[in-house]
Amino acid sequence: MRVRRHNRERGFVLIAMSVAMVLMLAVMGLAFDFGRIYIARNEAQVFTDAAAMAAASKLDGTDVGLDRARQAVGRLPMRWNLGTRPFTGILVEFSPDKQSWARVTAPDNAVEITFLRAAGGPAVFTVPAHSVAATKPVRLVE
Amino acid sequence: MIELALSAGVMVACLAGTIQFGYTFYIYNELVTAVGNGGRYAAMRTFRAAGSRDIEKGKAAIRNMVAYGDPRPAPDALPQAANLKPEQVQVDWVMDESGTRPVAINVSIVDYTVDAAFGMFRFTGKPAVEYPFVGRFAPSESEP
Repeated sequence: MRVRRHNRERGFVLIAMSVAMVLMLAVMGLAFDFGRIYIARNEAQVFTDAAAMAAASKLDGTDVGLDRARQAVGRLPMRWNLGTRPFTGILVEFSPDKQSWARVTAPDNAVEITFLRAAGGPAVFTVPAHSVAATKPVRLVE
Repeated sequence: MIELALSAGVMVACLAGTIQFGYTFYIYNELVTAVGNGGRYAAMRTFRAAGSRDIEKGKAAIRNMVAYGDPRPAPDALPQAANLKPEQVQVDWVMDESGTRPVAINVSIVDYTVDAAFGMFRFTGKPAVEYPFVGRFAPSESEP
């Protein structure tokens, strides 16, 4: 009788571990992937804050001022994805009078998902950020 | 029992990695926020340069802002990230061609170690930010 009961229980660890492994992947995904997503979001926000201030500080109501503002944004050395990737596709917009405010958007920060993907999550997660800075005085308004 | 022992080893390794990376990412996120706030503070504060000591005092205030969230922290102030000290914050002014007027400020973390239970990660030179200087330029004033 004891031998039979033992046979019926064979494979239980395999089933239990399979279920646990899926749960573990989800937990790892929450920690690893969400951690990277939050960092990328924060890095992008800090970048757009600095870029909006840099752009606003160059505005003088002329087209030359707009060019100088775009160049100031392009010169910023900041990176994302744990400081490894440059920002791309940066959008710089200005007030109609070319001197009141500048808005910077970093739209293309796509974080590759590693673990949550295996548990049914998306392959990439994009975390855009934007900031607006006013010129007088130069300060962040959003 | 053998299956349990083998799979438990894998599970424990996964759990350890999760804790280690999760905590490290959490700390890194805190550092990004801290240098961002410090950089913005530096960009908007008055640059006083009556002497080299005034510039150093200004840098010390920026380091305190990054480390404690306050340019003049109380003795019992808590750091913005675990064990972060002002000495681990690097502050560099970017000057114009004449070398007298600041145009931007670089703030970064140097020599910071995250003790994440199962291993350590060391950050040097990151996270880093650069803000344009938009504050008041006061070359003849002294820091209070």
